[in-house]
Formats: sequence, structure tokens, C-alpha cells
Amino acid sequence: MKNFLENLLLFKEPKQTEKFILKENKQDTEKDSEKASNKNPSQKSNKSKEKDGDTFLDKILGSNQGDDEQEPGAEKKEEKISKKLSTNLKYMKKVYSIPKNGDIVLRAFDIVVKDKTIPAFILFYDGMTDREVINNYILTPLMLLSNLDIKGNERKIIDYIKNHILPQSQLNETSEYTSVIDEINFGGCGIFIDGIDVAFAADVKGWEHRNVERPNSEQVLRGPQEGFTEILRVNTALVRKILKDEKLIVEDVIIGKRSKTPCSMLYLRDITNESLVEEMRRRLESIKIDYLIDSGELEQLLEESSLSVVPQLMATERPDMVAAHIADGKIGVIVHGSPFVLLAPVTLVDLLQSPEDAYMRLPYAHLLRFVRFLGIFFSLLLPGLYIAITSFHQEMIPTDLVFSIEASREVVPFPSVVELLLMEVMFELIREAGIRIPGPIGPTLGIIGALILGQAAVEASIVSPILIIIVAITGIGSFAVPNYSLGLSFRVLRFGYIFLGAMAGFLGITLGLFIQGILFVNSKSFGVPVTIPTGPKTATSFSNNRLIRLPLWKQERRADYLNTQDDTKQPKISRKWTEDNKKRKGDGDEE
Amino acid sequence: MAMKNKITFGSFEASCITITLITTQLFLNLPRAMMEVAWTAAWLLTAYVSVIALLLFFIIDRLYRPFEGKDLLDLGEHIGGNIGRIIVGIIVLLFLIYITPVILREFSENMKIIALTRSPLSFVLLFFLTGMIIASYAGLESIVRLSAIIVPIIAVGYLMIITGSLRYIDFSRITPWLGSGPYEIFVKGAPRISVFAGIILVYFLYPFIRTKKNFTTVGYASVVFSGLFFFIGVLIFSLIFQYPTGTESFLPIYELARLVEYGRFFQRLESMFVIIWVASALLHLSILLFLIAYVFKKTFKLKYYKPLIIPFSIIIFSLAIFSHNLLSAIELEKHFRTFAWMVTFLLPIVLLIIARFVKQPAKKEGES
Amino acid sequence: MNKKIVFLILVILSSALLTSCFDSKEIDEKAYIIALGLDKGKNNYLNMTLQLALPNKITSGEGESTSTTTVETPTLYAGLNMINTYISKEVDFTHCKVVVFSKELAQEGIHDYIHAMIRGREFRGSMFVAVSTGTAEEFIENATPILEMNPAKSYEMNFRSYEYTGFTGDTTLTNFYMLAECSCRQAFATLVGVNPYEDSDEFDPKNSTFREKGHDRPLEGDFYAGKIPKVYGTKSEVMGIAAFDGGRMVGEFDGQEALFHQMLYGTYQSSYISIPDPKNPDAFVILNVNQGRKPTHHVEMINDAPINSAKVQLEADILSIQSGFNYENTDNIQILENAAEEHIKKGMLRFLNKTRPMHADLCGFGRDLKMKYLLWEEWEKVHWLKKYAESKFNVDVEVKIRRPGLMVRSAPAKGSEGDVMK
Repeated sequence: MKNFLENLLLFKEPKQTEKFILKENKQDTEKDSEKASNKNPSQKSNKSKEKDGDTFLDKILGSNQGDDEQEPGAEKKEEKISKKLSTNLKYMKKVYSIPKNGDIVLRAFDIVVKDKTIPAFILFYDGMTDREVINNYILTPLMLLSNLDIKGNERKIIDYIKNHILPQSQLNETSEYTSVIDEINFGGCGIFIDGIDVAFAADVKGWEHRNVERPNSEQVLRGPQEGFTEILRVNTALVRKILKDEKLIVEDVIIGKRSKTPCSMLYLRDITNESLVEEMRRRLESIKIDYLIDSGELEQLLEESSLSVVPQLMATERPDMVAAHIADGKIGVIVHGSPFVLLAPVTLVDLLQSPEDAYMRLPYAHLLRFVRFLGIFFSLLLPGLYIAITSFHQEMIPTDLVFSIEASREVVPFPSVVELLLMEVMFELIREAGIRIPGPIGPTLGIIGALILGQAAVEASIVSPILIIIVAITGIGSFAVPNYSLGLSFRVLRFGYIFLGAMAGFLGITLGLFIQGILFVNSKSFGVPVTIPTGPKTATSFSNNRLIRLPLWKQERRADYLNTQDDTKQPKISRKWTEDNKKRKGDGDEE
Repeated sequence: MAMKNKITFGSFEASCITITLITTQLFLNLPRAMMEVAWTAAWLLTAYVSVIALLLFFIIDRLYRPFEGKDLLDLGEHIGGNIGRIIVGIIVLLFLIYITPVILREFSENMKIIALTRSPLSFVLLFFLTGMIIASYAGLESIVRLSAIIVPIIAVGYLMIITGSLRYIDFSRITPWLGSGPYEIFVKGAPRISVFAGIILVYFLYPFIRTKKNFTTVGYASVVFSGLFFFIGVLIFSLIFQYPTGTESFLPIYELARLVEYGRFFQRLESMFVIIWVASALLHLSILLFLIAYVFKKTFKLKYYKPLIIPFSIIIFSLAIFSHNLLSAIELEKHFRTFAWMVTFLLPIVLLIIARFVKQPAKKEGES
Repeated sequence: MNKKIVFLILVILSSALLTSCFDSKEIDEKAYIIALGLDKGKNNYLNMTLQLALPNKITSGEGESTSTTTVETPTLYAGLNMINTYISKEVDFTHCKVVVFSKELAQEGIHDYIHAMIRGREFRGSMFVAVSTGTAEEFIENATPILEMNPAKSYEMNFRSYEYTGFTGDTTLTNFYMLAECSCRQAFATLVGVNPYEDSDEFDPKNSTFREKGHDRPLEGDFYAGKIPKVYGTKSEVMGIAAFDGGRMVGEFDGQEALFHQMLYGTYQSSYISIPDPKNPDAFVILNVNQGRKPTHHVEMINDAPINSAKVQLEADILSIQSGFNYENTDNIQILENAAEEHIKKGMLRFLNKTRPMHADLCGFGRDLKMKYLLWEEWEKVHWLKKYAESKFNVDVEVKIRRPGLMVRSAPAKGSEGDVMK
């Protein structure tokens, strides 16, 4: 106890940690220091930046060299594949616990070459592989093969098998057990042949999976209707389908000791800030975890602060969103098995944006955006404000309304805070249960439950009808938050505002907003403050985001805070035809 | 000994926080205080005082040229080593510790008057104190960034109050044009430049905004915009409340907010005004508390400022409940407003002039 | 670290539970007053009347929507305390729409009550200040809404009727307070009263002011509140204004004078005005008059006595020409305009001369003089409000008739005896 109190009251020296700050890359700083411009706060201090920039570059170079030397997973076991097939067979049987293991298939066969038979076996998981492919393109060529003219050294045999016999697009040749095992675990087929000290791993993945469908959680009326699926390569392909650029890099990282989940990091080589890529790589590679199933887990492993009120990575189901953000200089992370792709760094404005904002014409987009902001405002503050106003600031309610609220509350036994909390908890319950209720009755039951409950509660004088309206508006508003994670954050914060409003009216609400503001400006996503276009004001803050959006042809620069390698998105005049029009008109006048 | 700061921010943020520190008294009693001196010519006094403040800042800015990126404490050290720094630090600390509890007390008392009439004072104080402590823990960067978000909102709310009450204006109310007379306004009113006492923040933000250009921008922007807000507020207030009546009102801008109404439905919106009012108070008090801890830390060359926050907030809390009633707190503020200009304008000018003379020997040290 | 957070949360939560909600009051724990009446008490300083809204009745629409109570008390807040003992909910002034003083009390001075209302945060600035020709108690007792269930709305609409009748004025608490403390103007309050008639046979021309004004018959504005010849419906009436000097009521003005006051003061919007027909003294021309421009005032001090001139510019549409005379052409319209100007000017001068002995500069002539001074002390020395009693008045009225309505001439009704015209 004494210790605890001491810990609590006494100051402990904080550990010196250097946090990642997204800085400008080398070329940029050089360029800028020449210009010595004062465009934005982060560029203010070129002198010291250059120093830092150097160290960063060194780091990048250092670790890059390291990357070239070692391949992922290579360091774990050094055991090499033996020339003797029996050793290999024994080893693999041990590894896969054959015959205990039911779904692993070990098929031994012989390759007949002239007078000699060479024993061989293949190994694959049933159900994860495509049987057709194995039968037709691995077993058939190997078993039915004759006239294999083995001459020269062993290397030749390997090349011959690789180049002439196995018609496989992805065929890896490896001399280590671990890599072939990894391939088999991920739906590959291991081929071992006697007499050579390498094994082949063929890509014959063929498991059952979901097709590309509409995104469930982020639907739009206007815009692409495809959503990510659970398959990594399908997902990368969906992004590549949009960004047909060879500079789009898909870097693979394997995470999870048991699950060995393949993840991909997507970025544009010539746009994205190098230190950002380096930081993301560093974080991804350093994760040591047993299993990784969804990107939701990865998000928690990558974020800087677990208790922050703002999500620090954005999860989206939409390939178009991912492509757009990557093109703007962000990094995407795809996790195999998760239809949600992570994007970083992310700001509050990104989280409040819907993809439709960009696809709609300007006036409609703004209408939608303002309605959305209103919804968010309601979902966060309405119950708190209601409590604050009705219990502290009655004078500001219009007289006519006061009378109707008073009349409707007359028969309600609870104080309005309890009444409100009751209804809010009820609503959360319906929402939570609505997801779990199976099948098509789910949403219906939710609505009916809400309606009947609401009506009955009013008729039984447990709540007042005005309160039902408040809770309903709050509920509807909370669905307007485009980002699910942020919506959840607001749902939690809402209760805080109810308490504060009940404690001290507007004073409490304002204190809440102030503290929330402090928490918001304090949170960073990969070194970028989440409140960036306004929090720290940046040069191009008006380019796209914030409250208003400029016309598409006016969005000439990439977001300043990303410190991209190439700042300009499009030339000053992106609609060439407007210039042509002017010229044409000029000609006409002269004639 | 130039501090190696990792935290930097732009001139917009720095201006916002400085404007908050200066203009918050507008929500307390500034228009009334102006009217008490100049009677019907309160707007004239405000404009006059703003121009003087601008001139003084011009002088300070000029004198500051050779000392880029140094705050007052660095200057003190530049002049007289440790002793110089500690003397300057103690003066500034006394200045800050004097005003913070007074402002805290006034805001809490006003809150009690306009909204929470039955709550005990300590309850209201605690609300403000919580915000202050959390913000100070989050650090200067967070406070400054938040101010960049909040200050525009406060400004919009403030202008809404002003425009909402415009229909009551009557130009005869600011006549006779010279009110209490030129001597009262231009000579006796001159110490009123203390309303710009908050500009002291700029001298301490200098290491964070780094460049000379930023310092100049922030300083001028703060004085000009604060002066503008003051001027608008005082002018509209005296256009609506004629001279003797205006000196009765305890919270002038709040009285203006009470006038805002749109038809039968939207009346008495002054409670909404409480939101921008508390927000600006919280920001104001947070930066003051942070500044106290920061100056203390820097004066005595401590390594951390965070452990100082709780002790200082306890001191401020105790001092805030020290005065018997609100009126004596207001009296304290009045005294403050008569001498504050010495610390904010006279002290830097004196320091800078002395620093110029001792420039030679200390130059090397300054660069390290 | 986690322990720390848990501890902090516990501290915050427990402090929240321990302190919580000092001021919090549910809406249904309060009784809202919509009208406050102050009379001189028989045995004590005050007779305080409160009209409470009954929200259940207001929303259900059945029965009386208000309840009235009167208590004799030394002060306003003392009375409140007394009333709170027998009214189950806490009485609240935040939605009070009107405060009525009896004439007797108003003549003794009401500025201390006005100060009390400005000082307290509960009273709203848009509350109307009224003076009852009878007792305030009587007025509030009789002020029952007819068209709406909501008495608050009824008060608000009724007291704002000056916008289209011109017979009262904008007498909100804020306005009253600021005018009462102004050194160049005087405050005024709405005059209210209770109608005495039970039957239309009882109508008495003596209750009108038309004779002293030299009118042949009572015009629409020639009444004080409580004297309007009308029966049925609500008994409460709102008409005319009461002038104040230094917080004491010094005189009352009838509806027409209130209208001229508004025209001279600058708050006039529009109303119907009957002008005696210049061609036929038995008939009227009815105009819908709007204020063209704000009136301008000019004050000149000659021999230490002010000469106040005002210029009033009005615009009018013709609503009715009873005589049928063809005023609707460019020559004749001049005649009508002159007649209207003459009629209004005469009324205004009468009104202004009536204000003079009361020291009541209701129209704000002092503003103009005040603007000519540089120093407050010099202006103070003028003692304008005292000097006002020595004023002479000049009024320049300009009426421009803009539109004739939907008819451009009035053809006579054809009858057996030829054309019928009044």
C-alpha cells in the first residue's frame, strides 16, 4: 500500500524515449533550405531538421543493407535439405506428425528415367490446394516422364526439372526445410526428389473463399461497389487494378509465430515519405505474436497509444479508398484473412470523410458533409446538452417547449439523467443484440424491439416522449460517422458528456469538450497529429479537407503533413481544355 | 545557453494562444473598466491604448533583433548569469502567481452568478482546475494546438454576440465624444495598456517559434487582433449601454449576450455563450499554469516541469479562495491592471537595453 | 501505471458522486410564472400577484391554463419565499413574460424593482413592463387567453401588437431600464387595464378622450386601456403608454398619442389611421400608414430654452374613401396628403405639449443636443430633462400616398334616388 501511494504521489523520472515524428525526407529539406521558406510550421526549422534528416537517412541505409542479407524466417532453423530422400521423408513426417495428422497428404511415387527409378514424394494439405493442378501439372509430368537425360552435375537436374518439366508459374526452389514448410502451410505443394539437395515448392493454392462482394460497412450510392475479401492476393490485386503503376510496392511481411499470417505493406515508391515507410516496416517486423487473425488486431499492435480516443489507423473495406490514400502518400497494410485494410497515418478529417465526398459534385458533397457533421454532433453531444439545458439552463428553452416538456415529464418517476441513461443503455443493447440476432430477422427485430419498447415505455410513463426523440436522433446521428471505430469512440464519450452535463450543465460540457480537445490534439498517428489541418495549421490545409472541399481541379498539392517526396498532385491547370477554350475564343475575336 | 527545443509551432498557433491570454478579460470586466475611466469615450481609450501597445511592441521588436530565439530568462542570464536569470524569473513568477488565482476566482464566481447559483465555489473552482491540470500535463504543444482550433470558434461566437445585439445600438450613447475629458483619457488612461499584459507570453514563446520573423508576426498579430476585439467589444458595449448604466453591469459582454434574441423562439441564448466563455477561460488558465511551471523550471534549471504542476495548482487554488469575496478579487485585479505594464513592457525594454551593452562578452555563450 | 489510472478514475467518480448536481433542477420541479403583478399593499408595502402556467392544462387543452395567487409582502423576494411555502413546486421567473405595476405604485417610483429584476439572472430582458390603470391584480386575474391555450404566448403576442396597431410601444424590460437611466430620454411603459362593460348599452363617450382633442367623435385611438367600448371576450386591454420621470410615473397617454409617440420616436411600423375627409367632414379616409424614414430631431437652444424640431416622413396606402371623392389622381391626392399631414401634425403637437410639463422627453430630442457636446461634464450641466419643460416644438410631417389599393376611382352606388354618396 505504501508503495502504491508512493508510486502515485511521487514523481518518477520518465524514461527517455524518442518518439517517431514524421519529418521531411532528404530531398525535401534540401530543396526547402535553399528556398528558406516559412510555408508551414514543420518546415520552420530547417537547420536542425537537416541534422535529424541525416541520421534518419543513415538509419534507413543501415537497415536496408540488413534486409538484403537475411530473408524472413531464414534465421530460425539452419537445417538444410538432405540429398537422401529417406532423410527428407523422415524429417517431414516428424514435422507434420504423419500419420497422426489427418489432412496432410503425402504421396510417394517414382520417376522413371530410362532404366533408373528415382523415388520422390510430394506433400500438401488436402483442402487448401487445388487437386486438379497437382494431378495434371505436377504428378503427370513427373510420373509419366521418360527420356530424362541426366548428364552433367546435379545443378543441371534441378534446372531441367524447373525449366522443362514442371509447368508451374510459381515454383520455388529451396534448400531449407523451413521455407518449403512455410509454403506447404500456406497451401503449397512440396516436391522432394531423391538425389538432389533442394526441394521444390509449387503454388497450388486452392482453398474455398468468398468472392469479391459489396463492402458491408461502407456502402456508397455513387462510386465503385467492390469490397475487399479475405484473400491477400485478391486484395492486392484490387488495389493494383486501380493504381496501375509499377511504383506501387507491395512489401510482404509475415506476422505471427503460429498463424504466420502474410501481410502486405502497400505504398508508392516515389511518393510516400521514406521515413514513414521505414517506420511502418520497423513496427511490422518487430511484432512478435502467437497468432494474428484480423487487421483489427494488427491495428492494436501498431498504434502508439492504446487508450487514445482517436483511432490511429483507419480500417476500410473499400479498395478505392485505399488506392486514393496510397496515391496521396499514405501506407496501406493488408492482412491475409481480413477484408479490412489499414491505412496510416490518418487524421481526424480522414476519419470523418466518406468516399462519396470525392465522387459527388461539389454542392451535393457539401450538403452531405454538413449533414454528416450534424449527425456526429448529435451523436456526441445531444444527450449531454439535453440534460444540461433541462436541468441547469431552463431559461433558454423556448417557453412553449418548456411547458410541453414539463407536461410530458410530469408522470415520469425518474430524474431525467436516469431516464436518459436507461434509454441510452436500452438503445445500445438493441444495437448490440441486433448484430447477434441471426439471419434476416436481425434488423427487423431491432427496429420492432425499439419501436415497441419505446412506445410501451412512454405509455407506461417510464420515459417521456421527448426523451425518446432525443435518443432516437442520437442513435441515427451515430450511424452517420463514416468510420466505425471513431463512431464507437463517440458512443463511449457520449456517456461522459451525460455525466458532465448532469453535474454542472454547460460548464461540465465545456470542460468535457476541452479535455476531449486536449486528448485529440495530443494523439498522433505515425508521428502525425490527428487534428492536423487545424491543430497545427499547415500550408495546404485548404487543399482538400477540413470543412469545405475544393473542386477537384483545384486540389493541386498533396497533404502537407505527409511530407511526400512529390508535393504536386496535378499541374496548376489540370483541365487543359479550359485553356484551349480561351485560345479558341481569342482566335474567333481576331477574325 | 540556448535551449534545444524539440517542440516548435507556427505563428498562427502562437498568435492564437497569445490572443486568448490577452483578450479573455474582455469576458470579465474590460468594457466596464474602460467605461469607468473614459465614460462615454471608452472606445477612444481602447483605441488609444491599443496604439500605444503597438508602438511599445514595435520598440521591443526592434530591440529584440540581436537576440533571436531567446526568452526573457535567457536575456536575464545573458546580462547577469544565474543571478540575472533568477531575478527575472522571480519577477515574472510573482507576476503570474498574482494574476492566475485572481482570474480563476473571477471566472468561477462569475460562473456561479450566471449559471450555478447554488453550487459551492470550490466545486466550480475544481472544474476549472481539472481542465488546467490536464492541459498543463499534456504540455505546451497541446495547449497551443488546441488554441488554434478553439480560438477561431470563440471569435465566431463572440462576433455572433456582437451582431446579435446590433439592433440596440444608438450613436447618441457614445456622445459626448470625449467623455471624461482628454486629460483623463490620454494621461490617466495610459496605464491601461496593462490590458495587453498577456503579451508577456510572446517573450516566452520565442524559443518555440524560433525565427525573428515569426516573433514579429506573432507579436503584431496578437496586439492588432486583441486590440480589434477589445475595440469592437467596447464600442458595441458603449453603443448599447450608455455611460452611467454601463458601469453598473458586472459582466458587460454577458449583458450583450442577454440581448441576443431571434423572434419569440430563440431567446436568452446567453447560456450558449457560457460555452465559449468557459472554453476561453480554460485555455487562458491552462496556459498561465503551464507558464508558471515552465518559468519556475527554467529559472532554477530543473529538468522537468510536470512535477511542479500539482503543487502550483494547489497554491493557486488556495490563493483563489483566499479573498473574502468577489469584490476584493476584482479590487486585486484592478491593482494588477495598474502595474502589469511594468512587467510586460518596461521589464523587457530595460532588459533588452542592458543586454545590448553587455553583448560582447556573452555572445559566445549565447550561441552554444 | 494502470493502478494510477484506476485510482484517478475512482477519485473522479467518487468526487462526482459526492458533490454532484447542486443546481440541477428538473423542469417538472419548477413552477413557471408568466406574469408578475405588483400593487401597493393595504397593510404592507406590496401586494404581489403571480400568474402560474399549468403545463398539463396547456398541453391537454382542457380547462384554465393558468392559476393566480396574491400575497401581501414587504419585498419582491420575501413574497416569493412566502408563495413557495404553499405552492408545491419552486417558483421560477425565467419564463415570466410581463410585469404589471399598478398606477399607484408606479407613481411612487418603480426603479428599485426594475433594478432587482436586472440584477437577478432569472428575469428575461424581453419581459414587458406595463402599468395598470386599475390594480395589477385585477388585470392579471382577467387576462385569460382566448385564442391560444398557452398564456405566455398570449401575452407575448398581445404586447407585441404595437407592431401593427401602433397603440402601445416596445416596452421590454431592457428598453425600459436603459431609457430610465438615460440622461436624454425618458422611459415609458405599456398601459393596461380591465374593461368595465358588461353590455354594449353601457358604452359611455365620457371614457374617450376625443373631446379634449377636438375630434367630433372618438377615433380609434382615443381611449386609454380599460376604457375601450367593447364587450365579450377577454376583459384585459392593452392600449396607450405611461410616461416616467426618474422611475416615477408622471402621466398617461392614450392609443393615438402612443402612435404619434412611436412615429416621433422611430419605432413605428404600420397601422390603419382614419383621417377626417377634407371634402366631407362627416366621412373618413382610411390610410394604411408606414414610416418612410426614421424621424430626425433637431434641437436649438435659444435663450437657454430649447426649440425642438422633428421631421417625420410617412408613406401611406389608401384603404377606404367613404365619401367616394375621386382622390385617386395626381392633383387630388395632394389634397388628401395635406389633410393627413395636418391631422397628424396637430395630434403630434398636442402630444408633445402634453409631455412638456411632465419633463418626459419620450421622443428623444435630447439625443440631438447631447451629440453636440464634447465633454460629459458640460452635458451634465445642461440638465436636459429639467430644461425640457421649457421647450417649444416644431413638427414637420410629410405624408406621401403611394398606392390607391386595388381601385383607382370610386364609382357611386346606383339607386332609385340616383347616385348614393356619403
